[in-house]
Amino acid sequence: MMKNSNKEQQNMNKWFRSGSPWIWLSAGGVSISLISVLGLLWLIASKGLSYFWPADIYEFKSINDKGIHGTVIGEIYDREFIPASQLAHTAVKLPPGQETVERLLVKTGNRELVSLDFRWLLVPEIQTTTKPEEVVVIERRTNGNFYGYIESVILEGKEVDITRLPELLERVDNFQEEIDSLQKTHIGAINYKIERTRLKERKYKLDNELTEDLAKELNGEVAALEAEYKVLEAELMGLREEIARDQLVVRAMDGQTVTINFEHILKITYNNKLNFFDKFLTFLEQISAFLVDDPREANTEGGVFPAIFGTVLMVLLMTVIVSPFGVIAAIYLHEYAGKNALTKLLRIAVINLAGVPSIVYGVFGLGFFVYMVGGSLDQLFYPETLPSPTFGTPGVMWSAITLAILTLPVVIVSTEEGLARIPSAMRHGSLALGATKAETLWRIILPIASPAIMTGIILAIARAAGEVAPLMLVGVVKMAPNLPLDGNFPFLHLDRKFMHLGFHIYDVGFQSPNVEAARPLVYATALLLVTIIVALNMTAVSVRNRLREKYRMLEH
Amino acid sequence: MISVTPKAVIDSPNKIDLANLSPEQVALEIKNLNLYYGEKQALQNISMAIPKGQVTAFIGPSGCGKSTLLRCINRMNDLVDICKITGEINLHGENIYGRHVDVAELRRAVGMVFQRPNPFPKSIYENVVYGLRIKGENNRRVLDEAVEQALKSAALWNEVKDRLHDSALGLSGGQQQRLVIARAIAIQPEVLLLDEPTSALDPISTLTIEELINDLKQQFTVVIVTHNMQQAARVSDQTAFMYMGDLIEYSDTNTLFTTPSKKKTEDYITGRYG
Repeated sequence: MMKNSNKEQQNMNKWFRSGSPWIWLSAGGVSISLISVLGLLWLIASKGLSYFWPADIYEFKSINDKGIHGTVIGEIYDREFIPASQLAHTAVKLPPGQETVERLLVKTGNRELVSLDFRWLLVPEIQTTTKPEEVVVIERRTNGNFYGYIESVILEGKEVDITRLPELLERVDNFQEEIDSLQKTHIGAINYKIERTRLKERKYKLDNELTEDLAKELNGEVAALEAEYKVLEAELMGLREEIARDQLVVRAMDGQTVTINFEHILKITYNNKLNFFDKFLTFLEQISAFLVDDPREANTEGGVFPAIFGTVLMVLLMTVIVSPFGVIAAIYLHEYAGKNALTKLLRIAVINLAGVPSIVYGVFGLGFFVYMVGGSLDQLFYPETLPSPTFGTPGVMWSAITLAILTLPVVIVSTEEGLARIPSAMRHGSLALGATKAETLWRIILPIASPAIMTGIILAIARAAGEVAPLMLVGVVKMAPNLPLDGNFPFLHLDRKFMHLGFHIYDVGFQSPNVEAARPLVYATALLLVTIIVALNMTAVSVRNRLREKYRMLEH
Repeated sequence: MISVTPKAVIDSPNKIDLANLSPEQVALEIKNLNLYYGEKQALQNISMAIPKGQVTAFIGPSGCGKSTLLRCINRMNDLVDICKITGEINLHGENIYGRHVDVAELRRAVGMVFQRPNPFPKSIYENVVYGLRIKGENNRRVLDEAVEQALKSAALWNEVKDRLHDSALGLSGGQQQRLVIARAIAIQPEVLLLDEPTSALDPISTLTIEELINDLKQQFTVVIVTHNMQQAARVSDQTAFMYMGDLIEYSDTNTLFTTPSKKKTEDYITGRYG
């Protein structure tokens, strides 16, 4: 017996000495990280993508504790169990012994009829549940979805057959497109030009260069533009009238009939009639609409295109700014600065910059860039617009610069590491051929260090794309009327404010009037943000791998 | 001390009188050279004349300063911060440590090949033309010609002529070392410094490089550092034996290996230390 346990002890010792426990331990660590990452992705993907899947519409007939009958039409949003004790004060009768009651959260829409578009239903109160085929979901520009039955279609005041529905919808769609392009592109451009002419005049006045001829000329320009504007406005009015021609009469769950103007309707679907394939098509349509549409209804409906655009543009600008500065700083620190205590101190300071909380950068960006630098720029170059600021207010350029400073240490550190890894034989080889230090750097060292520089840029992109806190101070807004890039000269408007996916998540999830409705949107936007960051990173990684392949060093 | 007498008699190109070199025969003249790494003196009062168109070898035990001396000739020691040099090295009668010397210019005139092959991670072609491009030569035809010329001189042309635009890192160690030699001679230096060029190579590659050195002296003055005495005996015309930072003996290779005049030299070449 004694001998046996001794042997076991020995085996145990042997197992420890073999190193296997450490392998198990490290493998365990990797597994936990992997599981948490996959779990996170699974959660946001499933919750986010289910938002786009067309849900079944149920009609519940119920009778409540006071004996009142009711009908609820809607999609099941959530279900939960509550303890029966919570229902003690009601007259709901439960079989003895049952301790929990199931209840459903139903999205009922029809915001113009009921104040809440969500409603809790106790399962024991439900008498019948049906999935009527004729029930429709009407997606609208205002007031959210409508759930109900189509009563009649009215064309120019006369009732027509329901089969003409698709045709009427398409007509409205075309008109809406025309109105949008007229408003955003043409009228927007004229407004922009009028504003610029006005500013020009003001500038001449400030410089005391405004002659009578000049004033006349400018006034003429404005008059011409205004005439053009009038024409377009009339055209717009005509279109507005046209689009308001037809109506749809629908019946809601409580029997009320509502007349909806076609101009407010985006889409009508018979969700319960769709088979799996149709649902899948609708699913894809919804996703693409989410990607390319503008947000509606205080961001709780519609798409997120401006936010995608703003995020990507800001990150690209940031990359363009941070790369040269980071690389130049690293070159100086590693190649030219004396190897003394001051350099060491400088290096430690740079590394510590990476640990400064990002909101501090936001405060710095607002105080220094926006108010000081931006304010001075306005005084110098845009006096005509004052007192309304041009660059002296948060905007996409200041956001990019603030994030560039935030990510600068990352680029500097990895570039320096790359420079340090280059064998001195490379430098000596180049110097011995009569190259100066600068020529050696430019022709030999930097190309070989380029994969390391790319690594720094990748890390910078990953950090910057996910950063929200500083941006709230230096340029992000809930709703930007224009994109920072458009067809009006000078095309890239660095002074404009922009929308950002990270801020969009915060805004939709926690600042919107209808948090319940926005929840799936939060997940969908989060999934999108992750996807975009991964895509940006993968692009940079593939560039780096190509460089690595090119400058692969032989193992000496 | 070297006395220069213009009346020196030359029997054959390989037989010259080291003690009596005419100015035309001298490629490099080292005068009273001292070198310090911080407090430590690594070279002590070296004076010697390196003859033109010949192969001069520096031998000696490790740490004797032979590589350090070689690196003085193209000022590669400038890269070491704590290094201090006194004395002169004259090229064309001008001190290369003089105040107005352009180091890049000097290094173009005095090429160098290192212990380990160090081709750049570029194509074979770009490696060879690197020095020319630095000089500002961008004419395609000139470059093409220089590449062929240099690779032929380095006995590498036949092996790589069909893959000039492949990466130089795909070559074998011996080929890489010949490529590095081609890269050095492409800019037509006067002197070629070889710092133990075969120490990282296999015997066959070593043989190829040794043959190549023999050919190179037709065009260049070659100075080679080697820890291998047989190699010095095989490839060099003159040999300098160094010990602890001192130049002990400097004479033509035959004399040094057969009838050394100093006891230390004899001890070293007979393998008593080192």
